[in-house]
Amino acid sequence: MNDTMSIPHLIMSASTVVQLVMLILVLGSILSWVVIFQRTFVMRRARTAHQTFEERFWSGVDLNELYRETPSEQETQGAEHVFRAGFREFNRLMAKTKSADAILDGVQRSMRVAWSREEERLTLHLVFLATVASASPYIGLFGTVWGIMGSFQALSMAQQATLATVAPWIAEALIATAMGLFAAIPAVIFYNRLSSESDRLLGKYEDFAEEFHSILHRNLQGRSEAGAA
Amino acid sequence: MARRQRGPSRSNDKPVGYGVPTLLAIGLHVLVVVLSLVTLPQRQPVDAESTSIVQATLISTETTTDQAQRAEEARARAAARQAEEEARQEEEARQAEAEEQARAEAERQAAEERAREAEQQQAAREEEARRLQEARQEAEAEAQRRAEEAERQSRLREEQEAERQRQQEAAEEAERQRQQEAQQRAEEEARRQREAEEQRQREAEEQRQREAEEQRRREEEAQRQREAEEQRQREEEAQRQREAEEQRQREEEAQRQREAEEQRRREEEAQRQREAEEQRRREEEAQRQREAEEQRRREEEARRAAEAASQGLDRAIEGESDAVANARQAQEAANSFINLVRRAVEQAWVIPPGASGGLAATVQVQLGPSGELFGATITQSSGDGSFDRSALQAVEAAAPFGELRQLPPAAQRDFRQFNLRFTPGDVR
Repeated sequence: MNDTMSIPHLIMSASTVVQLVMLILVLGSILSWVVIFQRTFVMRRARTAHQTFEERFWSGVDLNELYRETPSEQETQGAEHVFRAGFREFNRLMAKTKSADAILDGVQRSMRVAWSREEERLTLHLVFLATVASASPYIGLFGTVWGIMGSFQALSMAQQATLATVAPWIAEALIATAMGLFAAIPAVIFYNRLSSESDRLLGKYEDFAEEFHSILHRNLQGRSEAGAA
Repeated sequence: MARRQRGPSRSNDKPVGYGVPTLLAIGLHVLVVVLSLVTLPQRQPVDAESTSIVQATLISTETTTDQAQRAEEARARAAARQAEEEARQEEEARQAEAEEQARAEAERQAAEERAREAEQQQAAREEEARRLQEARQEAEAEAQRRAEEAERQSRLREEQEAERQRQQEAAEEAERQRQQEAQQRAEEEARRQREAEEQRQREAEEQRQREAEEQRRREEEAQRQREAEEQRQREEEAQRQREAEEQRQREEEAQRQREAEEQRRREEEAQRQREAEEQRRREEEAQRQREAEEQRRREEEARRAAEAASQGLDRAIEGESDAVANARQAQEAANSFINLVRRAVEQAWVIPPGASGGLAATVQVQLGPSGELFGATITQSSGDGSFDRSALQAVEAAAPFGELRQLPPAAQRDFRQFNLRFTPGDVR
């Protein structure tokens, strides 16, 4: 192991194509890690926010008070967003129609829209992570194949085919594969982890939406019975 | 309680930015790169240790005294080389001096040679001159004889003419008696003129004959002279003399006779050519002699250098301990080369899988002047053919030992041939 076999030296002495491949892989790795960190923070924050909201929601507070706590112009996230969208629609429809089915349909629709917005927000950039995870091994393999092609071309010109003449080329070519794997492995792991996290959060939102829907339904049912009586 | 919980929920509402994640990602990559750079140097000594298991050692077959002698030989060689260099420098200095006096010296040499040649040829030339003088004297005698004859003939002819004139005068008188005096006189005058003409013609004829004779004589003489020159093999001097003679003859004789002139010219030309050839030959000879002298001088210098070297060797044999110290020094100087060779061979050595630790093979390696491999032979076999082959292949794979050129020249010759001992040690 001498100086010519060190990894920086090998990277510097690689051919242009291999260097380009390495650059792409390094960029992919950095961006995937940016996405990983950002998504992790987003997920953690969404989880804690959901916890606090659920606690508050099930603490027996009046729904009107809960709705009025946050000003309407402020963006809300997660289950709160779903709740606000549904409750706003419920209040608006209550003033216009007496039909419970129409009100519940409108509330469900608006809550579904809010839920899909939340889904989009949570799974943002996870596709990029999936792309890096699946493509970077192939990109690294391409760099390796290209480098080994170059090594064999150089070998055909050499008088003596010793291991010492081939070794630097192959080492340099294999660096591309190593970098591809270096980018792909965390991307795969964190894609699975983050997508499962977002799935779980979205499931919770869906559960909350159903529960809220049942509360509203119960409310409407009592009111229609009272109106009928 | 609701108020208290609103604080964190407010902060949670703020969307997560990309600044911190970007910084974290870049920091992670930098950390990975730094770690790879830091851990690599730590791994290197481990590798070095693993390669040092193979024990390929240089075994010198010479004893210490032998080495000392070798070193002294080297020293003597160096001294010889130095002496040679000095001689060369002296020579160069001499040449520098000679550059100023080159022509003078050359001329002097040429003059000496010419003088020597002249000495060598002097005797011959004197003989030639003597012989030539004799020939000339003979020729002169002959010429005198011929001149006397010619005089005698001319005198005789004059007498005859006088007789004829007298007869003519008688006839004229008779005619004068018959014709008028004026006519007679005119006729007489005319006749006299005719006679004068005739006489002139005759004289011219005589002269022509004489000239022809002279020519014949000259040619004969020239031929004789040429023959004499050829016999003597000394053409030049004779030619010059003949030229002188011819010059003399030319002065003596008439200027007509185109044939003679042409011949002479041709002969002159030939002579000039021969002279030029002679000159060239002499110059070439001078050059050759100069070169020979140079060669002799160089040989003398080389002999002197060799003597100095042999004296150095004598001195070396006298001071044995000094020589031993020198040998040790040379050994130390060459140790770096040994280490280089050993490392190269160790790296190139692929130990066969079946080799046990007890095997040992000695390979004699012969190198060329620039470190290329001339030959590698097993001098002491290990008994395992594949092991021996692997050792030879290791030497061949590591072959061009270009470091040999970096050694001092005296040490280079010592390392043109060395032994390598291959022992697998505790490999595996």
